[in-house]
Amino acid sequence: MSAIRAATVTFDHVSKRYPGTGAAHPGAVEDLTLEVPAGKICVLVGPSGCGKTTSLKMVNRLIEPTSGRILIDGADAAEREVTDLRRSIGYVIQQVGLFPHQTVGENVATVPRLLGWPEDRRRARVDELLGLVGLEPDLHRDRYPAALSGGERQRVGVARALAADPPLMLMDEPFGAVDPIVRERLQNEFLRLQDSLAKTILFVTHDIDEAIKMGDLIAVLEAGGRLAQFGTPDEILAHPASEFVGRFVGADRGLKRLALARVRDLVLLPAVTAQLGDDAARVRRLDASDSAGFVLLVDDEGRPIGWIGPRQLPDSGGLAAAMAAPMSPLLDRRTTLKDALAMLIDAEVQVGIVVDERGSVAGLVTADEITAYARREREAQTA
Amino acid sequence: MDLLRGVATWFSDPGNWSGSNGVPWRIGEHVVLSALAVALAVAIALPAGLAIGHTGRGERIATAVAGLGRAVPSYALLILFVPLFGLGFSSALPALILLAIPPILVNTVAGIRAVEADGVEAGRGMGMTGVQVLARVELPAAMPAIVAGLRTSAVQVVATATLAALVAGGGLGRYIVDGFALQQDDRILAGAVLVAFLAIGTDRALTAAQRRFERRPGSIPIGAPGAPGAPSSPFAPPGPSAV
Repeated sequence: MSAIRAATVTFDHVSKRYPGTGAAHPGAVEDLTLEVPAGKICVLVGPSGCGKTTSLKMVNRLIEPTSGRILIDGADAAEREVTDLRRSIGYVIQQVGLFPHQTVGENVATVPRLLGWPEDRRRARVDELLGLVGLEPDLHRDRYPAALSGGERQRVGVARALAADPPLMLMDEPFGAVDPIVRERLQNEFLRLQDSLAKTILFVTHDIDEAIKMGDLIAVLEAGGRLAQFGTPDEILAHPASEFVGRFVGADRGLKRLALARVRDLVLLPAVTAQLGDDAARVRRLDASDSAGFVLLVDDEGRPIGWIGPRQLPDSGGLAAAMAAPMSPLLDRRTTLKDALAMLIDAEVQVGIVVDERGSVAGLVTADEITAYARREREAQTA
Repeated sequence: MDLLRGVATWFSDPGNWSGSNGVPWRIGEHVVLSALAVALAVAIALPAGLAIGHTGRGERIATAVAGLGRAVPSYALLILFVPLFGLGFSSALPALILLAIPPILVNTVAGIRAVEADGVEAGRGMGMTGVQVLARVELPAAMPAIVAGLRTSAVQVVATATLAALVAGGGLGRYIVDGFALQQDDRILAGAVLVAFLAIGTDRALTAAQRRFERRPGSIPIGAPGAPGAPSSPFAPPGPSAV
């Protein structure tokens, strides 16, 4: 189960026309050609009716193409036995479609059961998958879908799609039915999962922000099912291929591009720190001009406690936690610059504290530094 | 009062409890005839209803059959088969089967159609065959509706099997038919009481079964918003409210 399996998916001049109508029929697809390399997330994005869901469903043949071929690792999907084909592809839909009369465990074991796995292997796999998607197996295995929250249902849906370790996953707005906060968390969890799974994933969304966040590659489709642009998020944001793509990614694409860079892409400013119990007189002599005279108080593990300003700093004696003012937002090296900027604006501060995996201070990031990064990137693109 | 006392006397007469005109024998005839009719109706209507509900094809035929079933009087249906099969059990049975089919058929179709589309799509998308989708996704959800149809059919058949006596089909209707002929009101009323108890018992038993299915997770209770059956379906019994 640990071996990474991923498939290359190729659309070769694939069209779907609906009889009696022109190519403008909602859901029609016109001559789609693109290749998704193994292990990549390719997001199909576009306005409603642009054929993104149709394109997805043609891969597992819930919809049959009118013409063209879809190759999975070079083999024509049309020549596979259809139930065989589908059992080898993970499938997640927006409404999840859990079977309400089956327990979570039975739901997750759907494809293994169809494949005839023995009972004990199924049970072990169910527990493994529930753990993988962050659901405690003993707590959730025997519950029914009606007893789950929206986010939990989506996780079960993902676990069910992963059950037989398919090399390819199709996800149709998989996080569309949950509120924005849960969606954000599920997206992050899924990306972390994908780091180790490295599946090939076709992902449909109408939300350009989700596409930018989730996609290694983005295929922008426009009305009539035509491929408007296919490329990395950076390429699409920096060089929209047409007016349509430019409008679709939005006027704020400079800001959106900040979602592509992470805190680790910046040079962190050194933090001037003082430990609990340090002598105030010695701390006064530190040069904290970069942080307006504020010194960051940390515990003996280097974890931040709060800021001590020049006026809170006593003339002598040891430093105590009570002297520290509220904290700046804590940032991880993986936080996107867009999120980091949003956190700084929300907290009404200029400086964010970057911490490492153990929670110790690694450095500082300022809002100015983030906007300067955005400006440099834009200049580099136009140059 | 005289009549009630007469009925009580009739029931306490040991002569009415033995032989081929005794109560146990007549109940036996009634139950066998009804059960056979319902069983054969299930054998016909359930597969047909599942196929129509699953494929979505032939729904109009099902509706037409249901309408016809309500329009044709059961008495006429009963007489219809006499020229073909002669007097007796063999003419009563096909009439009762025809009577029992529409509620089962209509409720099965409606029950399957009411199953949420995303479960079906997920099942197909994960590689279930059509039969697997039907058996593992659609049927479990539709069971309350199907049992409700069965219940309507069974109660109707038990009540209508009384008429079988008119074509010499036996059953509890004998007491009523004979009572008319002999002008024995106590016998007529005793027969009616027995039929009523049998019908109510059937209804109770199948209501319990329906409720059991409704309590299962994921089944669609009768009477729930958007559920099959009441009030749009002609065959929804006044079922228990949603659990």
